[in-house]
Formats: sequence, C-alpha cells, structure tokens
Amino acid sequence: MSRLKLPQWFVLLLPAIIILSAVVLIPLLLSLYSSFTPYRLTRPETLYKWIGTFNYEKAITNANFWAAFGRTVLLLTIALNVEMLLGLGLALLVNRVTWGQRGLRTLMMFPMMFSPVLVGFQFKFIFNDNVGLVNNALQSLGFSDVAIPWLVDANLAMFSIIFAEVWTSTSVFAILILAGLFAIPRDPLEAAKVDGCTPWQTFRHITLPYLMPFIYIALAIRSLDVARAYDIVQIMTNGGPARRTELIWTMIGRTGYVDAKMGYANAMGYISIFLAIFFTIYFFKKLNAARTELGMGG
Amino acid sequence: MRLSVQMALKGATAGAALFAALPVSAGEFDGITLQAKLIGGQQYEALYARIAEWEADTGATVEVISKKNHFELDKEFKSDLAAGTLGWCVGSNHSSFASQYPSLYTDLTPYLTPEFIAEYVPSNVAASKIGDALVMLPRAQFDVSALYYLKSLYEDEGNQSAFKAEYGYDLAPPDTWDQYKDQAIFFTDAPNFYGTQYAGKDEAIVGRFYEMVIAEGGQLFNDDWSPAFNSDAGKRALSWFVDLYKAGAVPPGTTSYLWDDLGQGFASGTIALNLDWPGWAGFFNGEDSSKAAGDVGVIVQPQGSAGIRTGWSGHHGFSVTESCDHKDAAASLVAFLTNEDSQKLESSAGPLPTRTAVWDHVVEQSSSDPYRSEVLVAFQQAATHAFPAPQTPYWIEATNVIFPELQAAILGDKTVDEALETAAEAVDEMMQENGVY
Amino acid sequence: MDINLRHRIRARLLKAAQMVTLFIAMSIICIPGLWVVLNSFRPTVEIMAKPPVWIPNELNLDHYRAMFGGVGQGGVPVLQYFTNSLIISITSTLIAILVGMAGGYAFARYRFKGKGAIFIGLMLTRAVPGVALSLPLFIVMARTGLIDTHIGLIIVYVAMNVPFTIWLIDGFFRQVPRELAEAAEIDGCTRWQAFWKVEFPVARAGVASAGIFAFLTSWNEYALASQLTRSTFSKTMPVGLRDFTSEFTINWGGMCALAVLMIIPALILTFLVQKHLIAGLTFGGVKG
Repeated sequence: MSRLKLPQWFVLLLPAIIILSAVVLIPLLLSLYSSFTPYRLTRPETLYKWIGTFNYEKAITNANFWAAFGRTVLLLTIALNVEMLLGLGLALLVNRVTWGQRGLRTLMMFPMMFSPVLVGFQFKFIFNDNVGLVNNALQSLGFSDVAIPWLVDANLAMFSIIFAEVWTSTSVFAILILAGLFAIPRDPLEAAKVDGCTPWQTFRHITLPYLMPFIYIALAIRSLDVARAYDIVQIMTNGGPARRTELIWTMIGRTGYVDAKMGYANAMGYISIFLAIFFTIYFFKKLNAARTELGMGG
Repeated sequence: MRLSVQMALKGATAGAALFAALPVSAGEFDGITLQAKLIGGQQYEALYARIAEWEADTGATVEVISKKNHFELDKEFKSDLAAGTLGWCVGSNHSSFASQYPSLYTDLTPYLTPEFIAEYVPSNVAASKIGDALVMLPRAQFDVSALYYLKSLYEDEGNQSAFKAEYGYDLAPPDTWDQYKDQAIFFTDAPNFYGTQYAGKDEAIVGRFYEMVIAEGGQLFNDDWSPAFNSDAGKRALSWFVDLYKAGAVPPGTTSYLWDDLGQGFASGTIALNLDWPGWAGFFNGEDSSKAAGDVGVIVQPQGSAGIRTGWSGHHGFSVTESCDHKDAAASLVAFLTNEDSQKLESSAGPLPTRTAVWDHVVEQSSSDPYRSEVLVAFQQAATHAFPAPQTPYWIEATNVIFPELQAAILGDKTVDEALETAAEAVDEMMQENGVY
Repeated sequence: MDINLRHRIRARLLKAAQMVTLFIAMSIICIPGLWVVLNSFRPTVEIMAKPPVWIPNELNLDHYRAMFGGVGQGGVPVLQYFTNSLIISITSTLIAILVGMAGGYAFARYRFKGKGAIFIGLMLTRAVPGVALSLPLFIVMARTGLIDTHIGLIIVYVAMNVPFTIWLIDGFFRQVPRELAEAAEIDGCTRWQAFWKVEFPVARAGVASAGIFAFLTSWNEYALASQLTRSTFSKTMPVGLRDFTSEFTINWGGMCALAVLMIIPALILTFLVQKHLIAGLTFGGVKG
C-alpha cells in the first residue's frame, strides 16, 4: 500500500473543486483577459489586441456607471433587509400554526416556483399604469383616480422592482429560518418558560441566537444570488426610464450583448464582483461569529 | 409531390428564368445536410412545414439547430462570431439587425437570376443589402406601422362639433402629426381613456424618434455617420413626444412601454390612436382578444411638417453564411422559403408580403372581408413610404446611447435642447471610438 | 379567576391577530401568483381590461388547447420542453447534493489548513455575475461540443448549486453533535456506516432543503439556459416561455398556461420533499 494517500477532506472536496474550476474558474480567466482588450463580439480579431486598463479607466470615469453601482448597492441593502425581516416574521408565524402546516409551508414557497422571466412579465403587467392590476384595483376601490406611473416615477419604479424581487425571494429566507426553528433544542425553551421569561425575552435570548447562523446563511446565499434579479429588471424597466432604475447588471448586459462590447462589459463585471465579494465576506464573518457563540465553530 | 411544386412555381412566374434561380432538379443536392438557425415563434412556424417539400425535391436534408426569438437569436449570432462556431449555413435575419454582422453572411446575387430578384418589392431588396451585397432574401414578414384608431370616436356627433369648435377644423382621422396631437389631447379622459401612447424605451423609442425626424425633414445621421439629429427638425420631432406627455394625452407609464404593452393597451379599448405594426391587426379585431373589436379603423400613417410620412420599417429574411460549404444549396433553400408560394402561405395568416405579385394576391383574396381589406390597403400605402433603419453596424449601439436621453426629455428631467445635445455628443464619441470617422 | 379570564382573552386576541397577519401575508404571497394561474384560463380580452373584469365571465382551456395544438395554431413543443427540464433539473440536483454532501461533511467534520479560505473561495464562485460568465462559458461549451445538450446544462447547474448546497449542508452537519457519530463508531460502526446511520438522518432536513433549492434554481433558470440551448432538443421550459413573445407581440395568456405547467410539478415536488424538514424537528432535541 504505497499509493499516494490524499487527506480524506481533500478527496471529499475534490468533486466540488473540479466542477467549479471547469465551469467558473476557466471562463472567468478568459473574461478577465478579455477585459484588457477592446473585444467586440462581432469582430473576433479584436480579442488579440491588448489595450491595458483602458476599459477599467473608462468604467471608473463614467458617472453613469457609478450611479448604477450606487443604485445596485441600495437595492441590495433594502431588498436583503426587507426579505430577511419579512422572512423571519413569516417563519415565526408559520411555525406557530399547528394544523395544516405542511400545506402552508408549500404555499409559502409558492413564489419560488416562478421563473424570473415570468416574474418580470408578471409584475410588468401588474404595475402597468393603464390596464395593470394594481391601478385597476386602486381605482375600482376608489383609493385613487389617477393612473399611478409605477414603472416610471423614480421612487415608485425602484419600489416596484424591489417589490417584485422581495416577492420572489422572501420565501428563501422564510424556509431557511423555518428549518432553523425546527432545529432549535426544546430544553432551553422549556427552561425559559419555567423561569418565567416573557415571549419576547425567550425570542431575543434563546431563539434568535440559534437562528442567526441560518439568517446569515440565507443572507449570504441571497447576496450571491441577487444578480438573478437581472432577468426581472431587464423585462420590467430595462434600467429605464432615463436611467432611473439602471443597475450594474442591466448596464453590463446591454453593453456586452446588445452593443457587443464584451471587453468593456467584462471590465465593469469585474468591478462589480468586488461588491459581491464584500457582501459575502461580511456575512461569512458574521456567520462564524454567530456559530462560535453557539459553540459550533470550527 | 415534386411535380406539384414545379407546377405551382411555373404557374407563379410563367418562365424558365425561375429555374435558373431555383435549381430544383431531383437529387441535385443529394446527401447534403444544411444546418439552419431559424426564428421561432407561432407566426413564423407555419412556413417551416414547407422545408420538407424542398428536401423531397432536392434530396438535401435540413437540420434546424436553433429556434429562438429574434433578440435571443441576435445574441446567439454574436456569440457564434465570437466563438467561431460558424459551421451552419442558413440563418434567419432581420433588416434592422443585419448590418451588425457584415462579415457573417454571403452575397446572394451570384446564386440568383436578376429576374428572380426583381420579383421582390424593390424597396425591400434595397433594405436587404449591405453596400451592394444582397445579404438576405425577404420573407413575407414585412413591418411598417400604420395608424389604428377607434372608429366610433370619429362617428360621434358630439365629438365632431366639440372638436370643430375647439380646433377649427373637421374631426377626421389625422393626416398630419400635428392633427394627431390635437386629437390625442382632445380624446383624452385620464385615467380612463387616453388619446394615444408610444413605445418609450430601447430601440423602439429611438426608431419612432428617427422616423419623426425624417418626417420633419431632418436626418438622424450625416453621410459620415456623425449625429445630425441635434437640429431644428430633431427638436421638433422630440417636442412632439414631450408635448403629448406633458399634456397627459398618453398613459404616464408610456416611457416603460414596449410593443407588447402597446398592443395590450389598444386592445383594452382605452386608447384612441395607435401607430402600430401589421402583426396586431387580427388581434385588435378579435372578439376574444380585444375590446376594440369591430371598432378598429386603419389608415396610412400621418405626415410630418416636411410633407414626408413616417415609415420606419423592417423585414425578416433568410441569409446564407459566408462559411457555408454548400452555398448553392443553401441559396436554393432560401429562395424556396421566400418564393411566391411560400409568401402566399405565410401572408394568408396576416403578415405583409415582400413580393409584388403576392401583394396583389392577398389584396384580391381579402376583398370579401372589409376589415382585412381596409388593413391591407392601409399597409400597402404605408409600405410605399417605408424606409429602413440606418444601415450602420452601430445602429443598435447608437439607440442605447440615445434612448435614455429621449426619456429624460419626455419625463422633464432635461429640456429638449439639453437632451439632444447630450445624446449627440455621446453618439459622436461612440462613433469616433469605433473608428467610424 | 378574573386574572385567568383576562389572560385567556388576551391569548385569544393574540392568536387571532397572528392568524389575521398570517392570512394577509399569505394573500400577498399568493395573489400575484394566482393571477397568473387565473389568466391562463381567461380569454385575453378579459385579462387586461379596462374597466377591469373582476369576476371572470368565462373560463376556458383555450390557451392550453392552443399550446398543445399543431404548428401554426399556437402550438409549442411543451412535452419536449417539459422532459428536458425534468431530466436536467433532477439530474443536476442529485449530483449537486452528492457533491455538496461530500463537501459539506468535509467542512463540518475535518480540521485542515486554509479551511476558511477554501470555503470562501468556493462560495465566491457563485458571486460571479452571469453576464461575465455566459460568453466564455459559451465558447468553452461550443469547443467541447456541449452546446445544446442536456449534459452541458447539467454541468452548469451543478456548478451553480454546489456552493450553497455545501454551505447549507455544512450548517446542518454542524448541528449534529460530533459525539453522536463517535458513539456509533465505538459501537463498532465504520465511519461510513456511522455517517449513513447516524449523521445523515439528523442532517436530512438540511439535505432536503438544499435539494429543494437546487431543484428550483435549475428548474427556473433562464439566463444561462437561453445562451446554452438552441433547439427543442435541449430547451427548457423557462426558455420556452419566450416562444410566446415575438418581435412585436406577446401572447400573455399562452405564456401563463405554460407557466402553470411549470409551477405544478415544482409545487408537487416541494410538497413531497419538504416533509423531510420535519426530521430535523425530532432530532433537534439531541443537541440541548
């Protein structure tokens, strides 16, 4: 038995490492390279022309890019927080229900069954100012006698997008937090009851600390995943009108595929990756802290 | 089977010239397999059933390796160019997109006789060329916009007298864009009813602006492709959109509308005047799809102050790649899919043909259906004023630079002058960066 | 007695308030979705009408009939899309779970150098925006002949799902006390047996929820699928939704009908699989 013995943990991780390198790492290196070229899809020969950091300089000095960057951070922050709070509330409510919980849990996950493309069209029509569901309802019920331009007004348009995004993704938080609630040991809860703690105290000092790792997992997963909102935003407003809802992703998508300027798009993409890295590492640190507190670190 | 096709072809053209263009002799392309990327979607599919006939005639096989809608297909073509995966032969094309990939498709002229090409509507052939190269053959999917309106509004006597009193001329479907504006404002009863609406984002708003600039006697680009729209004509054109928005004669969400929203809007019966594409004609008059059914009138699109009618147009077609190994076979397939029988088949479902003889045929066929013939007469007239999108590889890129500025002016974030100034500068910079001049 | 009564009334009120809140929350969750379902049964004229038609005058199966109809009558190769989606989603979910379980176990149970860095590295692969990835991925796939195949999409979806299946499963394994497995090993089990007999059942809730997430992500993914598929041979249902849009028109009722066909299997699967979440409940007590 003289064969090379790899550590067990490495063998266990190997499949993940191989598949992620193949699908993510190699393409990523390709696109990193192309961000230093004037690469234009319709003219493949441009891939071999090195222009240094021109694309990065162009992105960094572009006011529209930074406006979109800021708007993306804003959207991420608001959407993630709202989803987390609503998800927590929903999970706690559903957890209290004793009868028909299985059905409720499935219903709770209903929005997750909707493909982002569909969600985009769905909310585009729901928020249509002339024949949309929301304005029709408001007018029928007599709350409003004007057509509210949901997708045009600067604040309302952001609201509509965030609403669509929150609608699809709150379930993710709710289901993860619910799973966390199931995993909470009964004893401390019962001990708290015996000691005469109020429900709020029990929640604050026992339930919440146990839930924190789950909340951070959900936050981190969502912050990585939130770029999926691209499909929704692209269909609902495509960054418009007049750049009022322009996000990094709509900007990159348009530059890369419609304008065919892939080099420039990739440069913007790389700048935006830092955003994702920041959010992920932040939540990861929080997760570890929460775990250490519960003695599950390692 | 083969015989019947030949008979039909012969009947259609009455001459041997076609056979030089369409070398349909049995087994001519035996064993050849052509890969094709075709536009998918319900109204485009019926034609593809005819491919089997061509296969039977020539012995060749067609393998459809991609079916997507046009925007996805555009993305795929660009990706193919980038990846060098150009082993396929026949692709769906569109006159507004074609100029983006000048190196992708081959010139079809050598594979066709001049007589065969002459059977297409000349303006469609002109719009199918990049320079002198005929890069696509037009299918019966021609798009130009005409004016749809609600007839009952114009028949109403109260409307007629009130309008006359207010504007000093008789109420009739508009022939100029100024009348159109008056009437749109007159009919509006927000939020329940609006005079009109327009596409407000992406290439769509720029296309509408482009045709309006032309109708006002201006140009979008100079001959060297530098921007020319920051002119008096450009300002008049943009003001038309701004004025309607300010007057509240369009739904306030119009800057977020694309074609689908416009179609749904007019079909809901809450829009008086709607400049729109021929593809909606059946939908607008269908009992189970539209509240406006039975009340839809169609006339030729109005003219601008320069006496020119708007007419931004486009058409679908089929192209053969430069890298194709069997260009003659591919050209034969493309010619077959756009020949007279194919166009008759396709246009029987509603789309507009691009062959002169087929135009006559469909007009004659529809004589028993008053609505259908009204539609066809209007669009036939509309087609005579049609002009294609600017034929530069950077058209789409330019629209992406221009549309946010147009929106800013419409919504009042910027004045018309500021918006056009910024847009012109951005286009200028973009053209220079691309080395156009 | 009095205090008791007041207490009981308060508890009742609280309970009622909870119920009402839950009802409102569920309504907001369900209404936009049910609107889509309802649209699939309504003639287009009623969907976006003004004045609105709140009580449908007519419900019919026209959109479904058209969808299954022939070419040219609004037919869409639904069954083919459905099969593709099913094959791709299920296979990629199973693989992602196996890979994720191995990885999650490694992170939860082994100590090794650079653990934090490797973990973050794996997670960050998910942070790459699809746009930066899609073109190079297309080129790689085109060169290896995996464009427009099931395998191509399966590989991509596995990669998409592995980071968070690892993360999630890692979290659940951490909840399983180490002593439990050690006790089993003392009782004569191998590590392998201990894993399947003791640790896996406890972490099953985690595996189930990771599975649901992975499945739904693959089932609904659009951006990459639209890039990597081309023909009916591999097109998935989300890409098929686009068959109802063309350059100028959209068949929203038809799109809704296809959407319903997408939602139903996902709903059924979720309903079936999520009962395993309860497994976490019973074993959760072990820790305290």
